[in-house]
Amino acid sequence: MAINEQAILNSELRWAAVVGGIIAVIVSAVLYAAIAMHVNPPSNREYVDPKTLHLSAEFTEANLGTRIDPDGRVVARLIATQFEFVPNCIVLPTNREVTLRFATPDVIHGILVTGTNVNTMVVPGYVAQVHTQFTKTGDLLMPCHEYCGLGHTQMIATVKVVPPEQFRPDAEGRAACGDAR
Amino acid sequence: MATLAETIPVPRSEPAISAGKLQVRRLVVAHVWVAIAAFAVACLLGVWQMWARSPLEAPAHTAANYFRSVTMHGVSMAYVLTTFFIMGFGYFTAETALKRPVPGLWLAWGAFWLGIAGVLMAALAIISGNASVLFTFYPPLTATVWFYVGLVLVVVASWVWCLIMIFAMQAWKSANPGQAVPLVMFATVANAVMWLWTTVGVATELLFQVIPAALGLNGMVDVGLSRTLFSWTLHAIVYFWLFPSYIAFYTMFPRAAGGRLYSDTMGRLAFILFIIYSLPVGLHHLLMDPEHSNGFKYLQTFLTALVSVPTLLTIFTITASAEVAGRMRGGTGTFGWIKTLPWGRPMVLATGLAFLMLFWGGGGGLINMSYGMNAMVHNTSWVTAHFHLIFGGTVVIMYFAIAYVMWPTLTGRSFPSMRPLNVQLWLWFIGMMVMTLPWHWTGLQGQWRRIAAFDYSNPLIASWGPWVIVSLIGGIILAVSALLFVWNLVTLHRSSSPRFAVVEVPYAEAVHPPGRLPASLNGFGLWNVIVAVLMLLAYGYPIAQFFIDPPPQAVVHRLH
Amino acid sequence: MAEHPPSDQTPAGAPAEQAAVDRHWRRLALAAVGVAVAVGGLLGFVIIPAGQREHSHLSMDAAMRRAAGLEAGSPAHPQPPAAINSLPVSQVSWDPAIMQRLAAGNTARGAELAGQVCAACHGETGLSVTSAIPSLAGQTSYAIYKQLHDFRTGARVQPDMTAVAQSLAVGDLASIAAYYAAASQQYAALGMRDLSGETEIVRVAWEGDTRRRIPACMSCHTNGVGGPIETPALLGQNREYMAAQLNAYASGARKNDVYGRMRDISRRLTPHEREQLARYFQGTL
Repeated sequence: MAINEQAILNSELRWAAVVGGIIAVIVSAVLYAAIAMHVNPPSNREYVDPKTLHLSAEFTEANLGTRIDPDGRVVARLIATQFEFVPNCIVLPTNREVTLRFATPDVIHGILVTGTNVNTMVVPGYVAQVHTQFTKTGDLLMPCHEYCGLGHTQMIATVKVVPPEQFRPDAEGRAACGDAR
Repeated sequence: MATLAETIPVPRSEPAISAGKLQVRRLVVAHVWVAIAAFAVACLLGVWQMWARSPLEAPAHTAANYFRSVTMHGVSMAYVLTTFFIMGFGYFTAETALKRPVPGLWLAWGAFWLGIAGVLMAALAIISGNASVLFTFYPPLTATVWFYVGLVLVVVASWVWCLIMIFAMQAWKSANPGQAVPLVMFATVANAVMWLWTTVGVATELLFQVIPAALGLNGMVDVGLSRTLFSWTLHAIVYFWLFPSYIAFYTMFPRAAGGRLYSDTMGRLAFILFIIYSLPVGLHHLLMDPEHSNGFKYLQTFLTALVSVPTLLTIFTITASAEVAGRMRGGTGTFGWIKTLPWGRPMVLATGLAFLMLFWGGGGGLINMSYGMNAMVHNTSWVTAHFHLIFGGTVVIMYFAIAYVMWPTLTGRSFPSMRPLNVQLWLWFIGMMVMTLPWHWTGLQGQWRRIAAFDYSNPLIASWGPWVIVSLIGGIILAVSALLFVWNLVTLHRSSSPRFAVVEVPYAEAVHPPGRLPASLNGFGLWNVIVAVLMLLAYGYPIAQFFIDPPPQAVVHRLH
Repeated sequence: MAEHPPSDQTPAGAPAEQAAVDRHWRRLALAAVGVAVAVGGLLGFVIIPAGQREHSHLSMDAAMRRAAGLEAGSPAHPQPPAAINSLPVSQVSWDPAIMQRLAAGNTARGAELAGQVCAACHGETGLSVTSAIPSLAGQTSYAIYKQLHDFRTGARVQPDMTAVAQSLAVGDLASIAAYYAAASQQYAALGMRDLSGETEIVRVAWEGDTRRRIPACMSCHTNGVGGPIETPALLGQNREYMAAQLNAYASGARKNDVYGRMRDISRRLTPHEREQLARYFQGTL
């Protein structure tokens, strides 16, 4: 064998340097997205009791859906339950920071909104929270993407993204799908 | 008709193992056939599942049947195929590489039957419909206790295997002080050590949370804690599955290609890096979960970037080994060595195809682990594509090749022709690419996972329809390949040609065989310490937080 | 060859040299791993929150606390407040205390009450006297308890049941529920049935309808599928009663289904389907 041991070691070390470079590129890309674009995975460590969720202040039926909170933020609150989202359709405006808050009274669910970076697990015991800004209008699908039981297949909601002039909350700040024109 | 010499190059110096004298012969054959049986059933179920999700009408398409099938497919592929194959291959390696009888054979047989009992228990539970919780179990969904107990038995059987492997290596080292443990056995024991660490997570989850809930002892369960404990196992287990394939890359491919392994040391380092960096990274499966903080998710993302290092090192070392072989066979010029490699040999062909799939599957993995950007792909078909390609593709195609190497030794007969073996491997590669590439595309469009049917009247979903059918065709090709694999092995059992008295096991030699190695490249003491430290730093608080500041628990949802 | 080594740390041959090589490797390995963890930790717990807090106007301390998970919220975004007041539709919530109460329900007391209070309409054996009134024998204790409790609090309204439920103590509700659930061993009022119906109805029952977002009835209403705890068993139930409930959910007249699960499903079914499903689930013996 004509290759000597040192030559082999040197070639492996050169390659290791290339590998180091690849790792550095990956790490840099993640850091850029995190710092320049404030992209974090959803990590809202906020507890809520699944067993009394329907009795709670924030997640009772009448308080669900899109609302402009007193501080001016657009917040949509949804329940993920076996086997549907409540409400089944929410309306949100484009070009404005919005926050979506999810809770579940029963099992693990998850959501994504097609065509966007909105994606989170919904775990009983926690309020799952996603911040985003929609740029395009349309009726987007928001399916449950984590197995939650035999009805998982049919668990889908709609996110209606409308231009700001069509987003007309009522006196209480609430906006529902039927209102958008 | 190919002769034995053409199929496997005969080594110059190693004493041969006689097929009749291989003590673990029946043990290995038993384990591998159980793995293959589970695999074949799961392949057929997978095809039905894709049919059900396609725009075409599938029979018996109820929600209950679909999720029964998904659970059976997942459990068979992730727990039965893998564990039994790895155990069988491990016993084979221990005897043929160390050239001494495997200690505790009676214990190994006991473990085998324990594993069989576990498989039957779990399978019957799934068929009954009372265990449709998928292979990842989703507490608070709680299946019948027999499902979990069955899986625990399989894990316990694998622990016995781990101890036998470790003991075999220790016994060899005592009898051969100062010598380097053969790389193939070093890597096998590395896998055993890693597996013992890996199973702690799921064993804890099952013993303390899920089984008590299934027995009715707990009415509530801390879901965040159970997901975290499962994540401990979930990433490292894929490396448990991957080890045999990398073992074949390092210790079988170079010889099959007609050359030598470029660097034995790099091989050892790769396996060691897998041990230490496969475990403290499980949180990258929970990047979209609310129960963990950004800080720990980032730390484990960073460590995940490091677990790509052994794969990148392997790509270099094995490609270099291939170049060595290709040039020895007369290849010239920058790429001329590729043509001269003996692609007609299944081990060589499988390695080449595995590397092609590793490029796509590994690349997909780097995207999955990218912290906040995981939001683009989490729980979409992209994820399904990734693990089918990297596991079903890169890893399992090497399992086929390993079986084709072991079978002549185990049966004492040689394959009359390499053609059906190579056809089977090509079909697997083509089927896997055809099945998984469309999934990557539809996943990026938002197609989500684990559902029994799509509403093709929706325009977005309708645009996925043709791709779903393409994937289905890929799946059918895979099923054909799976059946051909079974057939190829069966032909050796049924063959009426006379048994060879002596069969060689072609482990590769390194270009520079290791002389005296540092203890850390010949044993696992240091690495166990490092794993313990890394797990404490990466998982310590993420688990402790559930006890320091307990979250509200969820009501158990019983499936029986 | 020298003596056998006590462990694999010092193979025979040249112990001092070997020990030096081993030490070198050990230090290198520990240092490499230590650096990796330190860099990862620094980036995740310090650098990223430092870079993100400008957008959320947080102090460094607050941003780091959020990154470490010690506080709710993202280091990169302001956190919305949680509370607003509104009334729940049902007061029943499942927790260990209630579940223990149900498990401890006194079936002897339940039998007594059932005979005095329930049998007149719901039948001596829990098999009701008319099709408009539900049979109870074999129903799950959770389902019965929730309905009784909801009648009691007014979350569900039906003049006769409201009066009955309000006349009973809460502990008695649990006993009655336990009694009827246990009755499934003796009387097959609810349980296995022969089912037949139009193909489309069978499909809705077993496969669901993905286009209309209707889950298969059997994905909740089968014993042992892991659906909501209070889901009632349907097989063998009276057709008229079931059809009336589906219509009441659809119109909103009945609204004690938590989070509107049945209201939404019923509205998506056509009146014909509601009728046919009720017929399907009554089945035949």
